[in-house]
Amino acid sequence: MKKLFILSMAVISLNCFAQSNKPIQKIVNFAQLQTVLQQNDNKLCVVNFWATWCKPCVKELPGFMEVNKTYRDKPGFKMILVSLDMASEMDTHVKAFLLKNNIDTDVYLLDDNKRMNEWIPAIDKKWSGAIPATVIYRNGRKVAFEEGELSKEELVKMINNYL
Amino acid sequence: MKKIRFILSAVVLLAISVQAGAQSGYKIGDAATDFKLKNVDNKTVSLSDYKSAKGFIVVFTCNHCPFAKAYQDRIIALDKKYASLGYPVIAINPNDPKLEPTDSFEAMQVRAKEKGFTFPYLFDDGQKVYPQYGATKTPHVFVLNKENGKNIVRYIGAIDDNYAKPEEVSNKYVEAAVDALLAGKPIAQTTTVAIGCGIKAQKM
Repeated sequence: MKKLFILSMAVISLNCFAQSNKPIQKIVNFAQLQTVLQQNDNKLCVVNFWATWCKPCVKELPGFMEVNKTYRDKPGFKMILVSLDMASEMDTHVKAFLLKNNIDTDVYLLDDNKRMNEWIPAIDKKWSGAIPATVIYRNGRKVAFEEGELSKEELVKMINNYL
Repeated sequence: MKKIRFILSAVVLLAISVQAGAQSGYKIGDAATDFKLKNVDNKTVSLSDYKSAKGFIVVFTCNHCPFAKAYQDRIIALDKKYASLGYPVIAINPNDPKLEPTDSFEAMQVRAKEKGFTFPYLFDDGQKVYPQYGATKTPHVFVLNKENGKNIVRYIGAIDDNYAKPEEVSNKYVEAAVDALLAGKPIAQTTTVAIGCGIKAQKM
């Protein structure tokens, strides 16, 4: 009986482990990123372009994570980070940064340096290429773009305009 | 009455476009204003000091930004190649050292010496010049061409198409622009965009 109990506990905990949605941390090119951004899933999707070396990006991230905590249980909301760090630093530097800073959203590292001049205007015509930059998509269609650092309050205001 | 209304709306439109222009900086064909900024050797530099120049490669860059660092050697190479042809590099650090201490004037002096910069590395003290140009990030290049005594903006954007791997560059945007100016031909690609570090200035 005791054995059965231990076994069932083990099965349950294994199950829980499998179900704890581990966030995606993946290197992608722009075409792959587009399929992530353009999902017809009835969601408001907040996308933040950042890098570990970008001070204002790193400064605004805790606010973004707090906002994500507040909104992520709503069925119509998700947040994605797009890192512009070098792909060669994903496993060494970037993942360690994500762990240390408790970043639990999906993180895609966009590795498409040679075509910046194509994908930057494809994200938004107004984007000069400076980061941080934040884009909001609803149901795969862009509804807002903001270049520059956002406070938690500014982000909440932006989201509430569209949620 | 109709005429008055037309003139009025034209004036309003003009006012709006002037304001928009002031916010977003220079466009291709605009005349760039001169400046007087302190160089790392403590002397001031203006574009008008360069009597025999045909134009300039103005690069907003800085010490701290990984993109700017990745391009340091390529900026030196641009100056070595084009200064003698009449298009010297003028580098300007637009960042406020209060927000980015590694971009202080003293740190600029150290960097210029370490890297052996062959061009002036100027400090945009008070962050007044970069908004006029409309620079938003480092590195951000403006190629100017002297035409009838004015410095006309002929190219705005990135240095080339691969910051991370110089050996995999296939489009040298700035070189192509200056080569076209030297040959008296139109520039094929007058604007490009690339990821860079946002310029650090106090929020207005």
